[in-house]
Amino acid sequence: MRHLAALISASLAATPAVAQDAFVLEDAVALCATCHGEEGKPIDPEYPIIWGEQYFYIYTQLRDFAAGRRASDVMTPMAAQFSRDQMKAIAEYFAARPWPTIEASMEEGDAAIAEKGITGGQCSACHGKWQGDSRIPRLAGRQPGYLRKTMHDFKNEVRTNAPDKTSTMKQLDDQTIDALARYLATL
Amino acid sequence: MKLLRFTLAAAMAATLTGGAVSAQEETSASTLYGDLSHVTQDMLDRAAGDGNNFLHTNGNYHQTRYYPARQINTDNVRGLRPAWIFQTEIVDTMETSPIVVNGIMYVTTAFNHVYALDARTGRQIWHHKHNMGPVTTYCCGPNNRGVAVSGDRVFMGTLDAKLVALDAKTGKQLWETQIADPELGYSETMAPTVVNDMVLIGTNGGEYGIRGFVKAFDAATGELKWTFHTIPENSVGVWATHDATGRDMLRDIEAEKAALAKMGDPYETLGGGVWQNPAVDLETNRIYFVVGNPSPDLDGSLRPGDNLYTDSLVAVDMNTGEYICHFQYIAHDVWDLDAVSPPIITTVKDGGGNDVKGILHAGKTGYVYVHKADDCSLIRFSEPMVSQEGRWTLPTAEGARMLPGANGGVEWSPMAIDPNLHLSYAINLHQPMTYTVKSSPYPEGKLWLGGSFDVIPEEEQWGNVSAVDYNTGKIRWKVRTEQPMIGGILATAGGLVFTGEGNGLFKAYDSATGSELWRFQAGAGVNAPPSSYTVDGKQYIVVAAGGNAQLNYKRGNNIIAFTLAD
Ligand code: HEC
Repeated sequence: MRHLAALISASLAATPAVAQDAFVLEDAVALCATCHGEEGKPIDPEYPIIWGEQYFYIYTQLRDFAAGRRASDVMTPMAAQFSRDQMKAIAEYFAARPWPTIEASMEEGDAAIAEKGITGGQCSACHGKWQGDSRIPRLAGRQPGYLRKTMHDFKNEVRTNAPDKTSTMKQLDDQTIDALARYLATL
Repeated sequence: MKLLRFTLAAAMAATLTGGAVSAQEETSASTLYGDLSHVTQDMLDRAAGDGNNFLHTNGNYHQTRYYPARQINTDNVRGLRPAWIFQTEIVDTMETSPIVVNGIMYVTTAFNHVYALDARTGRQIWHHKHNMGPVTTYCCGPNNRGVAVSGDRVFMGTLDAKLVALDAKTGKQLWETQIADPELGYSETMAPTVVNDMVLIGTNGGEYGIRGFVKAFDAATGELKWTFHTIPENSVGVWATHDATGRDMLRDIEAEKAALAKMGDPYETLGGGVWQNPAVDLETNRIYFVVGNPSPDLDGSLRPGDNLYTDSLVAVDMNTGEYICHFQYIAHDVWDLDAVSPPIITTVKDGGGNDVKGILHAGKTGYVYVHKADDCSLIRFSEPMVSQEGRWTLPTAEGARMLPGANGGVEWSPMAIDPNLHLSYAINLHQPMTYTVKSSPYPEGKLWLGGSFDVIPEEEQWGNVSAVDYNTGKIRWKVRTEQPMIGGILATAGGLVFTGEGNGLFKAYDSATGSELWRFQAGAGVNAPPSSYTVDGKQYIVVAAGGNAQLNYKRGNNIIAFTLAD
């Protein structure tokens, strides 16, 4: 999968549509749709939903991808092509799309395990009712595959742009992370 | 005109306390009460003796939260019943202190909605939604702690770091001013304080690498009058090794000195938010406030020195913002056991048994600190209200347990006092936590704790309501509650204290003994400070029941006013 993504990104990087000197919003967002989905539903269970995500969160992630704070083979080179104003225009575009509906279900016992994890990590202090706000991403109704991956990426210091998340995730065992991913996906 | 209003108000207050009120019931709020809604500086100054209104977030400029009305008292409180319930549009964490001006109540909700209500019936008069910008910041829920009132205006700070002034009659916005840049992590949840046509406000952001401040704005125009930076350009201090209670904080001073030589003074991103209202001393033209934690919270390696004036009581000149004195409780804090509960001005006994003007503060350490107002020095600290386990234990990479946890033994929750009993009332958290440190450079405008503090789900947690004699430091009484407490407390001349819990219970205690005299189940967490007021000869107690995001207590959207059953 990684291989495919790298392939796409390599070919896309060569596309003139995203070159800095000729920024066309429509072309840029069409490119995003090849992975993040035509109707907002990503093509891969481990890719994040960006339709209907918070404007400021999308912008800061693009900024962090570009700066290398959030390293990603796919996103880092792509984001690096945009100026901050272009990132803002892209973020505005996606924030205004409706959040897609995805299919997810919980397993027996997930809710109790997830809620214990939430209490321990004091998650609600920032994430509130999981809908996201400004710099805080929406977690409700996300793909469980992406949620699981990104929690592990925090835990294993693969994703380092919100460094405190590493300490929080280290408190959670794999079973709790799995349960949390399914629980949040069904909210 | 002003004079006429004042005499009218005085005359009416006299009628109200006399109980001759029947004629007023037919008069609509918009005609009679609307004309009396003008808040003069004199009314604000005398709020401590005003049994009709509730004009300040913490009752009065001294922030005693001691309400002078005694119609509701220890003898009859068991007859307290809901008079009305108002439901706001936002079902989320509520920390608002209801403000009442001649029968009109102002409350706020999460995400900066403001409501004006008829305080007798709960009828909505107006509703103002702040036009929120795209960038907001908060560490602990999208909270708002309420408005300040002065003249014909209502003032509120917002999550996108603005100060707004609204017309008290209509809710229409008169002006707004940007307090600081929200992209950098500045935001507002505290209620402002208004004095002498100046609006005073601090800032959130201690979790974001900001440089904290208190600012004063012109109440008429929103123009900035002065700024006091809570972090001076030389933040190093005296290399204190022990905290205010005399415990060794285990600092590695040599390593800090080496780091300082290498990286310089860290003042620009050192945090030092001011989360709660200042106490105002009109006699000396001083304000007293407490300054929050250094950034990043848990990682001291990036910020050598005492980190002045974090974790401190600070006094500045009210008219100029110039520094007068400070007292630091914890130098180089790495536990987020900072100073947030608003300070109180009252007469206290000094070490020699003489009456002096004092300042009380309930620290997140779980102690009540008693200071001399004159020079900020510490007279005494109380017995601890929560157990102290492993204080101080340095945070580690693997995580180290300590009690109090990072939500403190007392959080931002204001105390109340009863000056006749010389007791201060605080609500506590017994909530051990694991403190984990992980060093990282400031991630540009994102949460920067330098690790994490985690609740230990297997361990029992609970809360207390504690009454501390501030003249001796002894705990007079303490009652246990089911869950850690956050919100606030009100004491009244009726011999009562009122406070709520995360499980929805709102209770009245005998302020002298701590016996529970009354309780009500609100259906959502009661985690906001109660207020009181009198209209048409009837005293009310009012509180918000909206739960709490920080401690994840059940959310709701109710403002509930109680009065005695007829
Ligand atoms: C080749 C596939 C691909 C394309 C094309 C692509 N993305 Fe991504 N995007 C990803 C993957 C995979 C991730 C997850 C990376 C990670 O977890 O670190 C991601 C992550 C993101 C995130 C972070 C979301 C979150 O919830 O944290 C944002 C924002 C984003 N992409 C925006 C865009 C935008 C805008 C475009 C178009 C300009 C775009 N992406 C194009 C694959 C792609």
